[in-house]
Amino acid sequence: MKIKEGFMLREVAGQWLVVPLGERVVEFSGIMTLSESGAVLWRKMEQDVSSEEMIATILAEYNVDEETAKTDVLEFIDKLREKSLIEE
Amino acid sequence: MAKTWSELYSQLAMGAKEKKEFIAGSFELTSRCNLRCKMCYVSHSAYDKHAKDKELTTAQWIRLAEEARDTGLLFLTLTGGEVFLREDFKTLYEKFMNLGFLINIYTNGTLITPDIVNWLAAMPPSIVSVTLYGASRETYQKVTGLAGGYDKTISAIDNLLAKGIPTEIKTTVIQGNKKDFDQLYDFVQQRNKALGVVNYVSPSREGSSDPCGNRLSPDELLQYEIHMTKRDQEAAKKTGRKSISKIEDAVSEVNPIKNNFENHMKGSNFAFECMSGSCAGWVTWDGRLIPCGILDKPESNPLEIGFRRAWEDIKQKCLLIPVCKVCRECQYKSLCEKCPARLYRETGHYDQPAPYLCELAQKRIEYNKKSTL
Repeated sequence: MKIKEGFMLREVAGQWLVVPLGERVVEFSGIMTLSESGAVLWRKMEQDVSSEEMIATILAEYNVDEETAKTDVLEFIDKLREKSLIEE
Repeated sequence: MAKTWSELYSQLAMGAKEKKEFIAGSFELTSRCNLRCKMCYVSHSAYDKHAKDKELTTAQWIRLAEEARDTGLLFLTLTGGEVFLREDFKTLYEKFMNLGFLINIYTNGTLITPDIVNWLAAMPPSIVSVTLYGASRETYQKVTGLAGGYDKTISAIDNLLAKGIPTEIKTTVIQGNKKDFDQLYDFVQQRNKALGVVNYVSPSREGSSDPCGNRLSPDELLQYEIHMTKRDQEAAKKTGRKSISKIEDAVSEVNPIKNNFENHMKGSNFAFECMSGSCAGWVTWDGRLIPCGILDKPESNPLEIGFRRAWEDIKQKCLLIPVCKVCRECQYKSLCEKCPARLYRETGHYDQPAPYLCELAQKRIEYNKKSTL
């Protein structure tokens, strides 16, 4: 799975943000704020990636157990899916 | 989580001000305007060839936008003059919308045709902020020199709203339109919108207008404020919502004043209470980076030294601007709208009290005292 084209991940004043670009503002007005780990996952999802790879990324970068990483990643994917941000 | 422009603006602005990171900027794409408003602070004629020739090119604006984005710019205001006079406005806007900005367009609305509304609807900005200079063709003639501007602006506002484009309606009060307040208020109420009222008119930065000869006296302005507050309170009783937001001047919306930052600023030797000079800046139509639209000293040159260096340069220069000691100790400061930019425009000095602002603040405080007795 992959994030749709037309969004830009930015760090502004210490806050991670996703800004829609060009015509994407019609379907996604406003902007989305992300935690630091959310930004790591988002960056990963700019290329085609599986949920297993995303969980591995979190495990490599943060000191969390596998169960927590899995729950967090799946929750993150669900949220993005709800907002129709993912190309399956 | 998705947040609104204003929620996110305040949250990020506070963070950016503390870190002194550039986050909000205005690009004054042109100084030319098809209206000839008597109170404008940067006014050149639409046909001023000299002014047009000195404007930055499409490529220069795009280069500055890319560099400003890499310096942190998120909230971008496109302003003028009248931005829709630029023949390359569509090109610039579409490019900027793909650079990761949240864009606010300031306009007088008169050039926003149905075609432009359709084009904007396909890629809407965060806000189109339209200034309505009066409630009739007569007032438009008096204030802007173009009677037909009234019909064009009304039609632009209604077309923008019909297409669901986020639209804000503002007015600037001067002698020529002070009697129109009630009609303007009715106009926004009928459309379920708020009216942004620019009450402070600054002496001109450049151009041939005469703001000081046309602005309200402190006494007249106080009476205007009292009237608009009463009108809004009456309406709020019926509808449960207020429909006026007071905007101190044409640039203060870009660099909101005080409230958010007041506590943070207590005892500081930094003269700016708004975002200017710490996390916001303004690029003039001829390419100078300045603290805000009415303050063009100090300045820096981003085209020569690059945006990031120009931003660091202007920040350093703003640190040297002195605080007005008399203002800091003044008994009327709680209702005074002074800032270094206004003091400079009013008096030629950053740190000398401006009689117009002093008198206004004093009258407000005295009125409040009387009305609470």
